[in-house]
Amino acid sequence: MTKDDLQVALSRLTKETTYSVYTAVSNILDHLEPQESQMAVLKVAILRNFTVDPLIPVIKGEIASAGFYPMIQLGGYDTIAQEVFDSQSALYVTQPDLVFVFQWLEILAPEFVTRFPSLSHTQVNDEIDRVLNMLSQFITAMRQHTNVPVVVNNFLLPCHSAFGILDVQSEQYQTHAILKLNLDLLRCFKKFHDVYLIDYMSLMMRIGSEQCVDERYWQIGRAPLGRNVLIPLGQEYGKFVRALCGKARKCLVLDCDNVLWGGILGEEGLNNIKLGAAFPGSCYQSFQREILNLHDRGVILALCSKNNEQDVLEVLRDHPDMLLRENNFSTWQINWGDKASNLMRIAQELNIGLDSIVFVDDSQFECDLVRKRLPQVAVLQLASDPSSFSAALNAKAYFDMLIFSEEDKKRNQMYRDQSIRKSLNVSAGSIEEYLISLEMVAQIGIVNEATIARVAQLTQKTNQFNLTTRRYCEGDIGMMQAAGADIFYLKLRDRVSDMGLVGVAIAKYSGQQAEIDTFLLSCRVLGRRVEEAFLAQILYYAKARRNCSSVLGCYYSTKKNQQVADFYGRMGFRLTAKTELKSDWEFALGENYFLTPACIKVNTDEPKDGK
Amino acid sequence: MKISEDKLKQVLADVFGIDVKTINDASSVDTVAEWDSLRHLNLVLALEQQFDIVLSGEQTVQILNYPLIKIVLEELGIDFICAK
Repeated sequence: MTKDDLQVALSRLTKETTYSVYTAVSNILDHLEPQESQMAVLKVAILRNFTVDPLIPVIKGEIASAGFYPMIQLGGYDTIAQEVFDSQSALYVTQPDLVFVFQWLEILAPEFVTRFPSLSHTQVNDEIDRVLNMLSQFITAMRQHTNVPVVVNNFLLPCHSAFGILDVQSEQYQTHAILKLNLDLLRCFKKFHDVYLIDYMSLMMRIGSEQCVDERYWQIGRAPLGRNVLIPLGQEYGKFVRALCGKARKCLVLDCDNVLWGGILGEEGLNNIKLGAAFPGSCYQSFQREILNLHDRGVILALCSKNNEQDVLEVLRDHPDMLLRENNFSTWQINWGDKASNLMRIAQELNIGLDSIVFVDDSQFECDLVRKRLPQVAVLQLASDPSSFSAALNAKAYFDMLIFSEEDKKRNQMYRDQSIRKSLNVSAGSIEEYLISLEMVAQIGIVNEATIARVAQLTQKTNQFNLTTRRYCEGDIGMMQAAGADIFYLKLRDRVSDMGLVGVAIAKYSGQQAEIDTFLLSCRVLGRRVEEAFLAQILYYAKARRNCSSVLGCYYSTKKNQQVADFYGRMGFRLTAKTELKSDWEFALGENYFLTPACIKVNTDEPKDGK
Repeated sequence: MKISEDKLKQVLADVFGIDVKTINDASSVDTVAEWDSLRHLNLVLALEQQFDIVLSGEQTVQILNYPLIKIVLEELGIDFICAK
């Protein structure tokens, strides 16, 4: 792949803004080295508590369209705390330029979202405080290690509120609680510098919340974003990228005929152009109002029109229904020359780059010409229906800015140079406190009729935290059990939710030696030290129930399980053999007990009804 | 809805990052290296968006090769025109 392939795909994206073209751009980027792209690299770290993978191609496409080569560091599923409190986590080590935090409220506070009527008023307020405190702690921790901008989302109102038509009638119900939470989020972030809110609530209201959430993908893989929201949402992140990286545009250059008024001035004359209180003239007035808003926000206005200059000036000065007047425009090129040359003159006169300009015209010919000759100019081609103009201009958000002054930019650089790092003591303490606060309870037992299906399923599905990746069906498990092996399951719940059966381990015995044939955990429960609790139990069982003196473990390397290559080593096993594809380990069960971490309470009682 | 088969092939080409000319009735999860579970999800999203359809959960996991994709899309009301 070459940079030309990328440019062709990006140009295709402007005309055909579909999900498949975003994936095409993303695929090209995967096969293009940063230096070959000849674009500056933009490193974005993503922290998330739900599955955001479908959104990534859109975000990458938007970053590339903004002129940067995207490098995305995708954080683990629901491991935000672990990553922000660990000064050595990939989040900090990769030194990102931006951090995006994605949080789905149903995962942060499940009862609040799905069982609101069961909560008392106090419990509701406690939940709101808990969420805010947690987010506050996350950002505090982040700010100890990095000063780059952080973008966090607010929360949607549910499609169907907890109390139905009653819900919105009082402050004590769910609608108000979520609105309050969103407002409090803003107050919470204001304590920090460069933390920004991305407004999921408004965006999804605009599209329609029923269109935005996909129940199927939520159930299958905790991926709630529906197909109709992926592009608008990815583009919204694109707006933040442009605003934060100096790519916000500065100047709006407008054509006149059929843009600022209906009709051709040169043919119809000042008195016959459509502009006024009546339709369709009212559409053009609305559009002029939007343009005035941009002017008041600090955007430079200019005109580029094929007309006699005097005719246009007459309209600007004398037409009673014009809202835009001569003094709103910083400059203009009104002549019969080609528009590309005119735009270059405007850029020169205003002393701005062509990449600061947005050009608006209704003519396919003019737009194509400018696109071809001046690719740095953003071209907005208006459709024939003037009632669509305002929305078209606002949707692109070319000019959106966030306050990020020159002083702020310099401050970031200074901190980066000084490499401030927090001591490990503080980080470890914070992780431990957080894990204890989860009040985790693990139930570990031997597989039975009620659990065998799920146990087999996990051996077939789990790829990442899986030491040997051996796939078993229920029959295999039955046979191993009959032959004397112990097949353990682990169920986990914490104060927030019950995750169900999430761990499987298989121990085979031969004389005084135990061998761990299988050891795996669902990726949903990584980063919580659950694996330590599970391993502790297996070792205890091997010694106390099976009279073993040593336990063997092995690791088979695959593309997906690299994160556990050193697992047994970290747990205190001794390496006995190692090849490129496999490593063997041993643990001597002498007095060396393996301790369950304090943050997890382990139950091994077999429940009476076998569930 | 009448759709040219080329348009369908282009969606697969974009999602998997492969040459559109290599897509034919033999294309499947087993024969296309880039067709992994993550890209399969992207494929479903792209097809739904491109052709304005909704696949059931079952159909989502059924469309593991090119002929099956056409069959499921036809079930959802799409008529394919081949450029012959």
